[in-house]
Amino acid sequence: MARSETVVAFKNITKRFPGVLALDDVSLSFRSGALNAVIGENGAGKSTLMNILAGDLHPDAGEILLDGQPVSIPSPHASQRLGIKVVYQELSLCPNLSVAENVMLDRLAAQSVFSPIRRRTVRAAAREQLERLGVAGLDPDATVVNLSVAQKQLVEIARAISQEARILVLDEPNSALSKNETDKLFEIIAQLKRDGVTIVYVSHHLEEVIDIADTISVMRDGRHIETVDNDGSVTPAHLIASMVGKTVEIATKRAAPLLTDAPVALDVKDLSAEPALNGVSFNVRAGEIVGVAGLPDSGKDELPAAIFGLMPRMGTVTLQGRPLTPQSTSAAIKGGMALVPADRRGVGALLSMSVQDNIVAASLDRVSWLGILNRRRMRTVGDSYVKRLDARIAHLKQKIRTLSGGNQQKIIIARGLATTPGLLVLHEPTRGIDVGAKAEIYGILAKLAADGVGILLVSSEMPELIGQCSRVLVLHQGKLRAELSGDHIDEETILSHAMGQDVTRPTPLGHERATAEAAG
Amino acid sequence: MGVGGYLRRMMLARETGIFLALLLMCFVLSLTTDAFLTSQNLLNVGRQVSLLGIMAVGMTFVLISGEVDLSVGSTYALSGLTTGMLIVEQWALVPAITGGLAVGLAIGLVNGVLSTYGRIPSLIATLGMLSVVRGLALVITDGQPVTVNERQGALEGVLARFEFIGQGYLFGTIPMQLVFFIVVALIAWLVLSNTNFGFRIFAVGGNAKAARVSGMPVNAVKICAFIVMGLLAALAGILSMAFLPSGQAGRTGLGLELDVIAATIVGGASLSGGEGTILGTIFGVLIIGVLRNGLVLLGISPFFQELMIGLVIIVAVAIDKWTAGRRAR
Repeated sequence: MARSETVVAFKNITKRFPGVLALDDVSLSFRSGALNAVIGENGAGKSTLMNILAGDLHPDAGEILLDGQPVSIPSPHASQRLGIKVVYQELSLCPNLSVAENVMLDRLAAQSVFSPIRRRTVRAAAREQLERLGVAGLDPDATVVNLSVAQKQLVEIARAISQEARILVLDEPNSALSKNETDKLFEIIAQLKRDGVTIVYVSHHLEEVIDIADTISVMRDGRHIETVDNDGSVTPAHLIASMVGKTVEIATKRAAPLLTDAPVALDVKDLSAEPALNGVSFNVRAGEIVGVAGLPDSGKDELPAAIFGLMPRMGTVTLQGRPLTPQSTSAAIKGGMALVPADRRGVGALLSMSVQDNIVAASLDRVSWLGILNRRRMRTVGDSYVKRLDARIAHLKQKIRTLSGGNQQKIIIARGLATTPGLLVLHEPTRGIDVGAKAEIYGILAKLAADGVGILLVSSEMPELIGQCSRVLVLHQGKLRAELSGDHIDEETILSHAMGQDVTRPTPLGHERATAEAAG
Repeated sequence: MGVGGYLRRMMLARETGIFLALLLMCFVLSLTTDAFLTSQNLLNVGRQVSLLGIMAVGMTFVLISGEVDLSVGSTYALSGLTTGMLIVEQWALVPAITGGLAVGLAIGLVNGVLSTYGRIPSLIATLGMLSVVRGLALVITDGQPVTVNERQGALEGVLARFEFIGQGYLFGTIPMQLVFFIVVALIAWLVLSNTNFGFRIFAVGGNAKAARVSGMPVNAVKICAFIVMGLLAALAGILSMAFLPSGQAGRTGLGLELDVIAATIVGGASLSGGEGTILGTIFGVLIIGVLRNGLVLLGISPFFQELMIGLVIIVAVAIDKWTAGRRAR
């Protein structure tokens, strides 16, 4: 690396959200014309930092230096004027417009409303950008909606460089790309580097980062831990240790015994749901809390929907000894499964309805006779679950949308419990919920498990998985990578498996399997 | 909750505002005209709004389920004409009416299947069906008016009973059409507020994804709502045929879907689904009925009537939206 001058420097950046310190005195710099990787776990502060660079968020304290000069970035527009372009994971293209129009979108948008658009000029200019990227094969007239995710990503990058971006931020750019497409992306990145563009590359794929990055910055809990030159001596193990930290507060572990002879509540064999899941097998025993960990693209987020019947799937799902019809949520509920979905407001709550209605919604048969609702029974059932879960509500007729997140979640759990399930599947059950309510929900889960309910807890929160689960399944690229139990459940091991790294310690996968099969 | 709380909730309830508006209209009309506040006139209003009301009750089901049905005016025409033609063909009363209702049921089923399994937005699917059904009516009648009388071949006894349904009075005072409206509204109210089906319509229309997670058959529920609508549009069409007793495929029920949707929306049902009540719909229907009646009594030009009704729809929905934030609390 001939040039090594700093192009962007963050100085003592602090950003606070209600209840969270997202960035804590972060000082970090990016080298000009280099590929600067930023890695860290969920919630480490990577995205917040990038949002600040993009002008979407403003730091509470600290300053940003560009070429050594302090700058303020009050808006995304200001950020673009400074030559910074951020390509987010969720692409911001207009699907109904052509490739050429999207590439030139920002310039077209800057024109006066009445100035004519010369299609030929737009197409030629777009083609020039695409050729610069070495993707001349992409038809400028194709409509973006018909492109693959990878192609869309290329359009987004072409759009970024068409604005003469000096600093290109790629936020998890290849989470949706195939191996070939990723290689292509790396070629393009190399080309851009030769042109003097500074790349900031946010990722969780450690090996890739080690392959292509010039510098690697590690963040954890809103702090900048270290920035290393990627000179060939950096190992995945070192980075993982750095991401996890030596001083992780040990989450209180539930003294949950491994249940090896309890009846199997859920048995999943060769579960596939293209393209997210690919031949996953595991089981959950009555009274067990089994965690599911994995990166965002590991397939863990599709697992609940696939087993509950919300999406097409292959393989067999056996619930308390009976095989389950695919793609039928009512069959899942009748079979004894309940789901608490991740998107509480969008998929979980019947927002326009009352607390009482939400509680009985999945078990109407229990509160009706020949299809006629028994209001008194609805009230009794609602009341009993509100008491059992200690949900704080004014009255049962209250609209669920007026409750706090934690109480909404309790009501949705109550809806699941009202179906008297043998298996409760929870997907990110404590996302966006305050600490007190979190602890209460953990208490509820522990009590349910003690009552013999099998619990499958799909979560991105390490303390939750470590603290609540007697076993943790780690998914990686749609496959079950490891099954951890006992002392093997720790942040470093989970993260290593989630990132597809080999762990020096032997995993108990083989042993676990053997006992499960012997008992089942 | 104390008395104050109840009072506050009642004041904020959807139906209260529209009920007060209705009351105000009646009050003004009884002061400005002699004819309004007579039992004769009020029963007359009741009869006039009945067919609109029966259909608006069906539309309430469809709107709550998160869909819309634009084909109801055509269904009204085809069902009425079908029953009329069957009676002229000397069918007995019950089979002839059943035939008309079956037409409505079938149209509802098609609307429902297209809008769910067919993945065509109901606005488009039922817009298409509006034309298809109107076209069918034209084809089977060859565009000719259908008149139900003995000269055309209707059996005497059947005709008398058919005409009673449309033109008769219960106990000599209450118009039969109004009796049908009251019975339909009562049953609909019971179904919506006291059955699994009613509960599911609200759940599916409020949040289809959450309804699915709760194990509800989302598509089946929506199809059933369309079928209820089809049956009620058919009933109204048959009653209209019995009242007049004639109809013409090119004219009967033309543009009726807009009145039906307007009354339902004024009554507080939401186009985005999940909200609406039968009581509100009844008030919405009455507002439109009383308004029309009042404007006639006041001797205001019929052209103005359309204008006024349009304004009422806009004002009613605007007030509803503006107070929505307060109600949510």
